[in-house]
Amino acid sequence: MAGKRTPAGLRRPNDPPVLILTSLAAGPKHGHALAKDIEDFAGVALGPGALYGAITRLEERGLIEPLTTDDRRRPYRITGAGSAALADAVTNMRQLADVGASRLGLTLGTLS
Amino acid sequence: MMCWYPRRWRDRYGDEFAALMEDAVGDGPPTLGFKVSIARAGLREHIHGSGLFGDRTPAAERVRAGSLLVLCTWTIFVLAGASFSKVSEHFAQAMPVSSRPFAQGAFDVVATLSFVGGFLVILGASAALPAFVRFIRGGGWSTVRGHVLRAIALTLLSLGVVIPLSLWAHHLNELQRNGADPTYSGVFVIWAVVVAATLAQWTAAGVAVARRVALPRGVLRLEAVLAITLAGAMAVMTVAAALWWGSLAQNAPWFLQGTANGTSPSPFTPQLAVTLALMTISVVGAGYGVMRVTGSWTELRAS
Repeated sequence: MAGKRTPAGLRRPNDPPVLILTSLAAGPKHGHALAKDIEDFAGVALGPGALYGAITRLEERGLIEPLTTDDRRRPYRITGAGSAALADAVTNMRQLADVGASRLGLTLGTLS
Repeated sequence: MMCWYPRRWRDRYGDEFAALMEDAVGDGPPTLGFKVSIARAGLREHIHGSGLFGDRTPAAERVRAGSLLVLCTWTIFVLAGASFSKVSEHFAQAMPVSSRPFAQGAFDVVATLSFVGGFLVILGASAALPAFVRFIRGGGWSTVRGHVLRAIALTLLSLGVVIPLSLWAHHLNELQRNGADPTYSGVFVIWAVVVAATLAQWTAAGVAVARRVALPRGVLRLEAVLAITLAGAMAVMTVAAALWWGSLAQNAPWFLQGTANGTSPSPFTPQLAVTLALMTISVVGAGYGVMRVTGSWTELRAS
């Protein structure tokens, strides 16, 4: 269970694809806004190369899609498949967190 | 900095990626670390787009990539084969009569399969020729012109040097041709490097064309079969070359070191070791190409 890949190939919480999907779950964003949001909520600074490498893979898998724009800064949004993949990844992470917390005697907050 | 990325990737993402880099760098110049990270990411896209790793690219692309990998390893193998041919010149005369057949048999296997390999490559090129003509007529020449012109320039350079070099060699004795004349040896090495570069450039041109040409499924399957056969031939030749070396080491080690008949020097020579190593590396690379082809075969046949 822990460390297992989801069907969409998402695994670790700091995987760039997971971070991007998590950011887009709050609404469409272009590259710079994605990087800023990810740095804010995860403390991870994704460079342009890593960010667009992950965007390329996610778009190939149909987990995100570009939005039409006249601006050079093209925004992306999460697709239905992307939402399902992110839900799988988050569920796996939650299971891992629950096991770790129970073994440490910690109490985690419930999901709203 | 985006020159590190494949052309197709740049066409799709170039503008937005450039905008992101401007936002990331701000007013100052990009740092060395920033440039290195961009170059690394660009090379990763080349690898990802090559069809040699992962299963996200279509089956036809994976089969094409595997076949092209075999072609590239064949180029290295040809260079190793040329070295083997040089090392094994007149070996039979140095061997006792009773022990010649095994070594001669191994040598004949290498020689015969080298022609078979060349024939397979020519056959593969011929099968792709109609698609290549369509590609050129469709305006594809500009995308491969640089590769082909460089290959032609190197070919002309190689041919331009070989004639005076041959005339020079004609006036030297065997000892001088095989290292006693340092000037001749130096020029020969330079010419050999130019020939190797020529082969590499023609292979690069072939790969550049093959990656852009739309091959019919039947031709793609034929290329796959030819690639598998060529990889098999390379493996057999490598084993035969190793057996030839073993036979010479056992029965005529003096030939390998160029010492007097009947002496027992070490059968290890750096040139032969490098030759066998290159052959082995080529076979391993070709083996990966074959795995790529066969792993995608069922999916290709079903499509």
